[in-house]
Amino acid sequence: MIILCCSNIIFFLSLDQIIIGDQVEIARVIKEEVKKELRKSLEEAQLYMHTVAGPKLALVIDGKCLMYALDPSLRVTLLSLSLNCTSVVCCRVSPLQKAQVTSLVRKGAKKITLSIGDGANDVSMIQAAHVGIGISGMEGMQAVMASDFAIAQFRFLTDLLLVHGRWSYLRICKVVMYFFYKNLTFTLTQFWFTFRTGFSGQRFYDDWFQSLYNVFFTALPVIVLGLFEKDVSASLSKRYPELYREGIRNSFFKWRVVAVWATSAVYQSLVCYLFVTTSSFGAINSSGKIFGLWDVSTLVFTCLVIAVNVRILLMSNSITRWHYITVGGSILAWLVFAFVYCGITTPRDRNENVYFVIYVLMSTFYFYFALLLVPIVSLLGDFIFQGVERWFFPYDYQIVQEIHRHESDASKADHLEIENELTPQEARSYAISQLPRELSKHTGFAFDSPGYESFFASQLGVYAPQKAWDVARRASMRSRPTVPKKK
Amino acid sequence: MSSNTASSSAGSGDSSAARKNSKRPKYSKFTQQELPACKPILTPGWVISTFLIVSVIFIPLGVISLFASQDVVEIVDRYDNDCIPAPARTNKVAFIQGAAPKSCNRTLTVTKRMKQPIYVYYQLENFYQNHRRYVKSRSDSQLRSPKFENQISACKPEDDAGGKPIVPCGLIAWSLFNDTYTLSRNNTPLAVNKKGIAWKSDKEHKFGNKVFPKNFQKGNLTGGATLNPDIPLSEQEDLIVWMRTAALPTFRKLYGKIETDLENGDTIQVTLQNNYNTYSFSGKKKLVLSTTSWLGGKNDFLGIAYLTVGGICFFLALAFTIMYLVKPRRLGDPSYLSWNRNPGGGR
Repeated sequence: MIILCCSNIIFFLSLDQIIIGDQVEIARVIKEEVKKELRKSLEEAQLYMHTVAGPKLALVIDGKCLMYALDPSLRVTLLSLSLNCTSVVCCRVSPLQKAQVTSLVRKGAKKITLSIGDGANDVSMIQAAHVGIGISGMEGMQAVMASDFAIAQFRFLTDLLLVHGRWSYLRICKVVMYFFYKNLTFTLTQFWFTFRTGFSGQRFYDDWFQSLYNVFFTALPVIVLGLFEKDVSASLSKRYPELYREGIRNSFFKWRVVAVWATSAVYQSLVCYLFVTTSSFGAINSSGKIFGLWDVSTLVFTCLVIAVNVRILLMSNSITRWHYITVGGSILAWLVFAFVYCGITTPRDRNENVYFVIYVLMSTFYFYFALLLVPIVSLLGDFIFQGVERWFFPYDYQIVQEIHRHESDASKADHLEIENELTPQEARSYAISQLPRELSKHTGFAFDSPGYESFFASQLGVYAPQKAWDVARRASMRSRPTVPKKK
Repeated sequence: MSSNTASSSAGSGDSSAARKNSKRPKYSKFTQQELPACKPILTPGWVISTFLIVSVIFIPLGVISLFASQDVVEIVDRYDNDCIPAPARTNKVAFIQGAAPKSCNRTLTVTKRMKQPIYVYYQLENFYQNHRRYVKSRSDSQLRSPKFENQISACKPEDDAGGKPIVPCGLIAWSLFNDTYTLSRNNTPLAVNKKGIAWKSDKEHKFGNKVFPKNFQKGNLTGGATLNPDIPLSEQEDLIVWMRTAALPTFRKLYGKIETDLENGDTIQVTLQNNYNTYSFSGKKKLVLSTTSWLGGKNDFLGIAYLTVGGICFFLALAFTIMYLVKPRRLGDPSYLSWNRNPGGGR
């Protein structure tokens, strides 16, 4: 039974008439009927759309009617009617129709579609949608094998979307932006240098420093960012499902965001390059000695590696100990590498450009002064921007973070309560599902036990209450269902 | 429709079986993403206090650096134009390449007391020691050991003379600076110590003490100074200093040091040999006398940068305080959530 709420309107489309006559004629007549019904419903729906506090609309359509409604000439009307409704229920549909409805919405409405199913009859629907989710369990693994994501229970869908889907979007945006930023900063320092080399193409950094920049010195922190970044915890994500809108609006990867990162990269590269090259002119220590090209470039590289790695800490919303380990470790790896690489000469070296450079650098006071100044000035721009942005133009997740800033991590509460005892309800449900089953699996009941459970249950003395739709179904089939013996 | 105790006991028996067959993966904080984390929120308090801390650290450092730099006394004298006699100024290149005597006398006045050691530099401008072909034109293995004398492939065009390898080969060595300076004060000569001007690591490891110059500057074009073939490379400090290629087209290189104090008002007579040809590429030559501090030579940039950044941070701390007082926002104010701001824009 469907319960009507006085503020909601439900459109029913189903074919109940029995028509006797020529098949083609019958089909044409039915199609006309369906067309009329659809048009009427659509007009009514559009009327309600124009009123501000209008009722919520729902459409219920059954498989036989859908067969005619998916006809190319009527499809558009069906689609516009469906899009005007808050929910659409298609019942008694065949697998093909499921896929057709999904494709209709996907191509017609140009929205991202998600379909979820657990049986073999859901496979075509799962594949027709953008995101297909299969539920592994009672109905077998066909749906899982055809899907993009597999979950174990239907209720995990909220977690999949609101928690993990959202986090995944956030992480991908941050990782991609950071990658472009760090490479842009690194490359631009070399670009500024070309202006002062007579455009001859002399590299600023030593070959190995350049090659290993992306491999050792800046690789791990961004991986940790991509693994662990969370803007709000899982329970808050579920409590504020509207946070999902940020993904729908693509707020973290607009051109505006890209422009901000690019500007930051240009600024940081200018600071690293100019501050070091200008301040290293002339004598560099009390013995009056002078730096060469490789000394200056190694100093710029060191400041760059530090600035770019510490930037990760500025952009993370949740900083775990792995962040500290990888950021500190990357900077340390750079220093250790420099110590080793600058300390050895091999016969394979064509030019010992950076021989002993890091030791020469570290023997001057200037090195430490520059090392304190340059990364801090580089990051100052981003820091100011983040402070202003959070205060005057906050994102939704930032407000939610602030609302719940005093709550500590309730780690166990985030868990889906799998480890709880089965409630008596669930225990009974499990017992019933262990009963002997009908051979055919295509009962059409994807998410619950078979409708005949009450019959078998009563045979074995297990109590199973009647399901409401079960009764309705049997009533609509006009057959005589076996009346289960109630205890 | 009352619940049945029999069914619930059957249920609990089966539920223990259910738990034994559970496929739940082993719990670990790492895989379940529940690592303890620090969740920093950039509140106004943090922003303002960070700015204040930065300015408190930077301003004293800036003052220290600026004092160090201001303590340094520097005398710079550009001589490349003036050291060409007037009649030859129309064709400087011809003059410098010709055989005419190139000595020149310059006078420097000391305006402030300079404590020893006073370093003598030559400064070149518009000389691209960082040009790609120039930088690669050297053979470090040859410089280190006489065994690798023949590894001259990177040194073209200055790799061999008449079939025999040049030691040290390459354009960098070939273009060795060859102006010389003789200084005197009040008609007494000032000794310029030319030892200890190169980095120790270069002297001990990069330039071998068994390598001697060979076939140097024997070609048609003389690029610069000649080298004494009896002195090993590890003691040719001018060469060592020159071969540490500079980063920018304007650079200084250490020539020597004076180990006596110079008083305020002293006049220094410099007799220099204006040999080096910077005229074909409009380069400039300057002679520099400079003291040093613990931070190096006269370079105000570091001090000014620290002071400026410290000052900016202080000003920003004030500006942000005013901004937060003028336009306050309660931390965690739900009315800023986008769905509360546009109530109709939902659905």
